[in-house]
Amino acid sequence: MREGSTRIAVSMAGLFLLTLILFMADMLIGSTQMAASDVLKALFSSGPAGDEIIVMQFRLPKALTAVLAGAAMSVSGLLMQTLFRNPLAGPDVMGVSSGAGLGVALTLLTLTPLFTLAEGSILAGWGVILAAWAGAGAVMIIIMAVSARMRDIMTVLIVGMLLASAISAVVSLMQYFSNEVMLRTYVIWTMGNLGNISYPQIRALALATAAGLAIAFTMVKPLNAILMGETFSRTVGVRMQRTRIILLASASILAGSVTAFCGPLAFIGVAVPHIARLLFGTADHRILMPATALTGAVILLLSDIISVMPGGGHVIPVNTVTSLIGIPVVLWIILGKAGLGRRF
Amino acid sequence: MRRGGVIAETRDLEIGYMRKKTISVMKDLSLRARRGELVALIGRNGTGKSTLLRTLVGLQPALAGEVMLDGRTLHETGSSQLPRIVSFVSTEPVAVRNIRVRDVVALGRFPYTNWIGTRTESDNIAVIAALEATGIAALGDRSIDSISDGEKQRTLIARSLAQDTGLLVMDEPTAFLDLPSRYGIVSLLRRLTREKGKCVIYSTHDLDTAINEADRIWLMTGDGVTEGAPEDLMLTGSLARAFESPLLSFSVNDGTFSFIRGRQNTIALEGRGKAAKLTTRALARCGYTTDPDAPRIVKIYERGHMTEWVVSDGSNEKRYGSLYDLVTDLPGNDQ
Repeated sequence: MREGSTRIAVSMAGLFLLTLILFMADMLIGSTQMAASDVLKALFSSGPAGDEIIVMQFRLPKALTAVLAGAAMSVSGLLMQTLFRNPLAGPDVMGVSSGAGLGVALTLLTLTPLFTLAEGSILAGWGVILAAWAGAGAVMIIIMAVSARMRDIMTVLIVGMLLASAISAVVSLMQYFSNEVMLRTYVIWTMGNLGNISYPQIRALALATAAGLAIAFTMVKPLNAILMGETFSRTVGVRMQRTRIILLASASILAGSVTAFCGPLAFIGVAVPHIARLLFGTADHRILMPATALTGAVILLLSDIISVMPGGGHVIPVNTVTSLIGIPVVLWIILGKAGLGRRF
Repeated sequence: MRRGGVIAETRDLEIGYMRKKTISVMKDLSLRARRGELVALIGRNGTGKSTLLRTLVGLQPALAGEVMLDGRTLHETGSSQLPRIVSFVSTEPVAVRNIRVRDVVALGRFPYTNWIGTRTESDNIAVIAALEATGIAALGDRSIDSISDGEKQRTLIARSLAQDTGLLVMDEPTAFLDLPSRYGIVSLLRRLTREKGKCVIYSTHDLDTAINEADRIWLMTGDGVTEGAPEDLMLTGSLARAFESPLLSFSVNDGTFSFIRGRQNTIALEGRGKAAKLTTRALARCGYTTDPDAPRIVKIYERGHMTEWVVSDGSNEKRYGSLYDLVTDLPGNDQ
């Protein structure tokens, strides 16, 4: 047992170090070529004004967002996988991101005309976040109700996908009735974007992520029991009703906040918890939860770095990169020896 | 032997479901179980065994009457204290891969650990004791998906034991296990009652072991639950009534069930020992009973370890090298 915990401590420290390294790398690489020394100078505000704007207004917020969004989406996925006892659960595949998106669309496409669409007006505020939470929470409750009736993992997934399609149909309909400016804002949002996020927005995202993660971490003990089944949990003393509500709220806050600002990030939520399980070889949430958060930050930083790799001012949408990383993991779960992903 | 006090008791209990309307499964159940006792709940499929067990451990509400555990009603005990009084092993399959046997067992300490589940010295002692009592101490560091079904069941029982409750309730702990594992589990349960003074209530379809090993049987039929020592229920004929059908008959002599065969032919048998016993058995399956006066005769010849059967009906004689050849050739063996 001792040597096991040493190994875990070393892995966790390694993962943390990797996050720091990738964070720095993400700051160094961008569509504008900049020397490392210039980036550092700009960071500590002693460089030329142009460099400082690029680093402080674009690269630093983007890297911070990648860390926050990666950790939040991944832990949201972990919570959903354990709660629904479904290894293929995740905020994107089950329509929770779409639900959050509907909330965002409602605010963007209907409320925007009431305000000026100035940078940092409604998007900066908590309005979008709250709408995204509500949307995410609503889908989460529907999925919960379905999985209480249908034990079959695939059935629940199909319901989630149908929900996502239905929501996107509603959103399309709303787009039809909205003007060009509103539409453009919305379409850019759907592509998943870690940039274009202001500091007030980052502050909101950081607060929401911290709250979501803190709530999630108080639930590690019941989460470990839930892994063994509902009857099991209830007979060892887990108060299921209460636990379920707290977990759903936490997962909705995490996925909803990220989706509100970064758009529906594909496959991070479903894939990262499995990468963390593979790395740490454990199902214990006391280890798995911080491991998942760090792995999520690493993967999203990496995705962001890859997305600006083409150089020459070209940037691939970050969703394309996360899909290319996430889909093989999901395929591995479906086709792996666990067969249709019945197990964790 | 002397047994401890009553630990589980139902008073005029009515069990069932509360959905859109209330569906009563059974009512007026007044049952008891004592410390140090192995109680087997038996009954045919669909009589409500799981419902009774789930009501007993507070997983579903009683429709009427009371469940008393350790002298207090479930309500008086409260949901936070209940896991310290009764533990439950359900039929839920284990769907986790990356978890060690030791960690599953340690989940039994859930009611005693702090918010994050840190195990203290006394928790670790309880886990080790549970692993040892169930005979899986060597498997502690193995992952749950690398062990056999029988060992998995032992792991879940060890978890139940680590929960340190006086009453252990188990829903079909021997289902899907092979014969040696089934006996292994039931003798383990019996040992827990004898050595640790636990009361174990388990449901099963395995009548043989229940009748041989249980101190008390709760026999569930459509009319209610009858309780008593296995022999009490054999004496009153309750056991036979519960399971007998046009195809099955119960033998009080050895406490086993056997098929009732259809139309009977007779045949005379000459021979002794194991070969004769097994020949009778094979013949019985084909609708033949033995009768010394029957016109057709089977003679068994044993030379060394070779056995030969000769069937004669007065005029003809035929030899067979195996019972299979013999019975397939018998007239009337077409049922």
